[in-house]
Amino acid sequence: MTRLTEDRRQLPVRIAILRYGIATCFIAIGFAFWYLQVAQHQRFEEMAQNNHMRTLSLRAPRGTLFDRHGRVLVENRYAFDVSLVREQTTDLDRTLRLVAQITGAAEATLREIVARHAREPRYRPITLVQDATLAQISGLSARRLELPDILVEQVPTRQYPTDELAAHLFGYVGEITDTQLTRPENSGLHVGSIVGQSGVEQVYNKLLMGTDGARSVVVNSVGREIRTLGEQPPAEGRRLQLTIDYDLQKAAEDGFKQSGYWGSAVILDPRSGEILALVSLPAYDPNHFAAGIDRATWTALNTDKLRPLQNRAIQGRYSPGSTFKIVVATAALEEGLVTPDHKVFCAGGGTFYGRFFKCHLSGGHGWVDMRHAIEKSCNVYFYTLGNMLGVDRIHKWGALLGLADKSGVDLPHEIDSLVPSTAWKKARTGEKWYAGETISVAIGQGQVSVTPMSLAVMMATIANGGTRHVPHLVRAIDDGTGWTPTPPPAPKSVSLMKPETVAALHDGLWMVVNGAGTGGRGRIADIAVAGKTGTAQVISNQGKAAAGKTDRDLRDHGWFVFFAPKDTPELAGVVFVEHAEHGYFAAPIAKHVIQTYYAKKRGEPLPVFNAPAVPTVVAGTAPVAPRAGGGN
Amino acid sequence: MFERRLYLHIDWLLLTAVLLLAGIGLAMIYSTTYDPVRERVGAEFMKQLYAVGIGVVALAICMSIDYRTLAEYSLVIYGAVALALLFVLFFGFSAGGSRRWIDLGPMNVQPSEFAKIALALVLATFFAESRRAASNTGDLLFASGFLVVLAGLIAKEPDLGTAVTLVSILLGIAFAAGLRLKIIAALVALAIVTAPAAWSFALKDYQKSRIQTFLDPEQDARGAGYQQIQARITVGSGGLTGKGFRQGTQGQYKFLPVAHNDFVYSVLAEEHGFLGVLLTLGLYLVVIQRSFDAARLAKDRLGAYLVVGLVSWFTFQVLYNVTMSAGLAPVKGLTLPLMSYGGSSIIATLASFGLVLNVRMRRFTN
Repeated sequence: MTRLTEDRRQLPVRIAILRYGIATCFIAIGFAFWYLQVAQHQRFEEMAQNNHMRTLSLRAPRGTLFDRHGRVLVENRYAFDVSLVREQTTDLDRTLRLVAQITGAAEATLREIVARHAREPRYRPITLVQDATLAQISGLSARRLELPDILVEQVPTRQYPTDELAAHLFGYVGEITDTQLTRPENSGLHVGSIVGQSGVEQVYNKLLMGTDGARSVVVNSVGREIRTLGEQPPAEGRRLQLTIDYDLQKAAEDGFKQSGYWGSAVILDPRSGEILALVSLPAYDPNHFAAGIDRATWTALNTDKLRPLQNRAIQGRYSPGSTFKIVVATAALEEGLVTPDHKVFCAGGGTFYGRFFKCHLSGGHGWVDMRHAIEKSCNVYFYTLGNMLGVDRIHKWGALLGLADKSGVDLPHEIDSLVPSTAWKKARTGEKWYAGETISVAIGQGQVSVTPMSLAVMMATIANGGTRHVPHLVRAIDDGTGWTPTPPPAPKSVSLMKPETVAALHDGLWMVVNGAGTGGRGRIADIAVAGKTGTAQVISNQGKAAAGKTDRDLRDHGWFVFFAPKDTPELAGVVFVEHAEHGYFAAPIAKHVIQTYYAKKRGEPLPVFNAPAVPTVVAGTAPVAPRAGGGN
Repeated sequence: MFERRLYLHIDWLLLTAVLLLAGIGLAMIYSTTYDPVRERVGAEFMKQLYAVGIGVVALAICMSIDYRTLAEYSLVIYGAVALALLFVLFFGFSAGGSRRWIDLGPMNVQPSEFAKIALALVLATFFAESRRAASNTGDLLFASGFLVVLAGLIAKEPDLGTAVTLVSILLGIAFAAGLRLKIIAALVALAIVTAPAAWSFALKDYQKSRIQTFLDPEQDARGAGYQQIQARITVGSGGLTGKGFRQGTQGQYKFLPVAHNDFVYSVLAEEHGFLGVLLTLGLYLVVIQRSFDAARLAKDRLGAYLVVGLVSWFTFQVLYNVTMSAGLAPVKGLTLPLMSYGGSSIIATLASFGLVLNVRMRRFTN
């Protein structure tokens, strides 16, 4: 009985133990909730936001490029991109395998793309196939149920002219690289952003890119969009009016293609430095880049011996040959060493510093003055002037005319042109300059080496009487409110030359085309074309003999520099033809461009390029009989 | 048996708290199952509303019949429930990989919910009739027999959560009945010793993975750990005052699965914040404490043990579910009594509180 009463007392105690124990548990749970909901609220709030809110970027169309007359050159089209949304993925391997199977893309490539974007939020679409074909799209949509994580998006994509026209000028676009992402000017861009990677696309990328839009949506747990919270439409990039004239560009490219040459041409308006045409051939198709270039095409472009990616106009450096005589003539006249009437006797060569230097006419030109020396391209005359000047004064005038540095054109990766000097040689080799070397320099050989662009600037400067403009590509910008003309860059120098110098040069250069000179193929009946041919040796004559038969094309390059009309020049430029043996063959291309310009100006039908019979020259034989010493 | 003056002794505070919780539960089920597209109340809400109605009737009935009379029939009730569970195993209606329901046309009945009442009744009767002052090992083993039959049948469904809940009833009653601390210590030791064996043999793979996931949810953030991470985000993002009724994003956009059922408390925490949590936790605490009062005041040991048995399973489930709702316990299909969606659960729970009220209001009768 005592034990029973003991039990009677024990029950309330045990109930009390239970209820206080439980109350303690509740307090502990209350603290746990306080910790999660109050102390850690910020963190979980953010996680909840990330759960159901998505901000998807809407790619802005890049600005349209127009030619100087308002013709559309580069625009945008809407392409279909196939993207992967990893958030929806259950089996990545299976998805990639299927996509590879259906689209024909390499599975390894897809895997690489996914790996590259691994650190991005899982809801952000990763583009697997850019610019998919309709067949690929329909193949994918047929198996949509098996591929809930595959998304087909419409995105604005760059569209360039289909015939590779002006490819180097436009450049191309591509996904931003990791190195580019780290640069301050690219803040705000992310992996996958499309930026200009070359040409105008690169230089004016900031203007052309526009601002990507964004769309905020609420999604549920399976990623389905429930409603849109807000949408910021993308702002199209600025529209640019280029200085290019589509018809002149086309005329120049047609000229090259019809005559079967690779090379480069730069046509300027000598009054302003505006670039009317810029050719570099062979070219590439920028459309391949716009759609995400595949590795095979990229490798092919990079390993091609013809180097189609190189913009020869600003990245190719060649010996100017006889076109450099213009510089020597200018220097001699401006330095006051000679007058245009100064005569030199050419006996087919001359001895300087103990060595005999040939003229290309072995019989000699006899007595020639400045005008005739230019017309006939007499080497002896310019050997003599060069010897009088010395290399440093030649360098000075080369530099003043734009042949010793960059032209400053608004294109990326331009290289320096070069006219040697004693200081240059000292810095480069540590050796002193030998006066004998100057003799070769005087006819544009030796170390003289220039880009087509710099030679075009030189020619424009001669044409306009001494103002060295900076060549440029943009005339006006439209930021959506109308066209605002772009102020041209300030000229590097003005009134370089005396009028007598200019007159003498103009006469001589006119005679090259219209007299007994080498530029006859550039002659046009009713337009006073002035010009000068030149030959850029690929390899010295001795080297040529030593090399014998090789794969490399060792034939000389040809130059034709020109301006027209002689007294009030509206066009100036250079045509550079690779392995044409002679500048003679560059002249018809220039002629075609000039004729196109005037036909357009006069409202006449545009001329069609009449391809002269492509000279079937064999390496080592000259198409023009009298030729020696390199110059003509 | 039907004396009018009994009703003067009804614990109105307890009854109010119970009905308030059921009402809050209904509101949360409304919130989580409302179809915003068709602007329609979810079918689950209507079902739950009917179940609450039936539950109130069940509560009234369980309150009216003297618990001592019920105790006399405890073995019959126990046997009936055991048969029903057996029936479920063979002819039951299955969903979500387990066979738990008997299909009765308009609604399904889940006998395991009623097994809790049956077990509490039979164990309370057993310990109350025991001649010994304090229960000994023999009593415990005998009582365990009652437990093992029901828990075994339920575990077989499988429904491990409810089976474990039944264990809490035995432990609660046995503790109240004076189970020696030595035995409790021995049981704890036994549990620890057998845990590795249970891990290897008794637990199914999905059960193991749930526990592993609990220990490291990030390891499987898209799979089993998902619910736990989402539960924490749901609760944590609620903040002090919550996002507002039907304004939760985690529950509304289905980031949290079975929001109206196992995770209804997470949604409450999301939509009504820490203040809502304090209010409901307080109500639960009131219900539990008032029930213990009923046990303390009970006229006899039978009444006291019965109440303790009922409060045991109730408290166990509340504590477990609330902890799990905050992502602080492994995910287990245990409902939150009074609030989670589930007809049988709400009916059985209300019936249980009918019995608690029953014991208290008869504390002066002979």
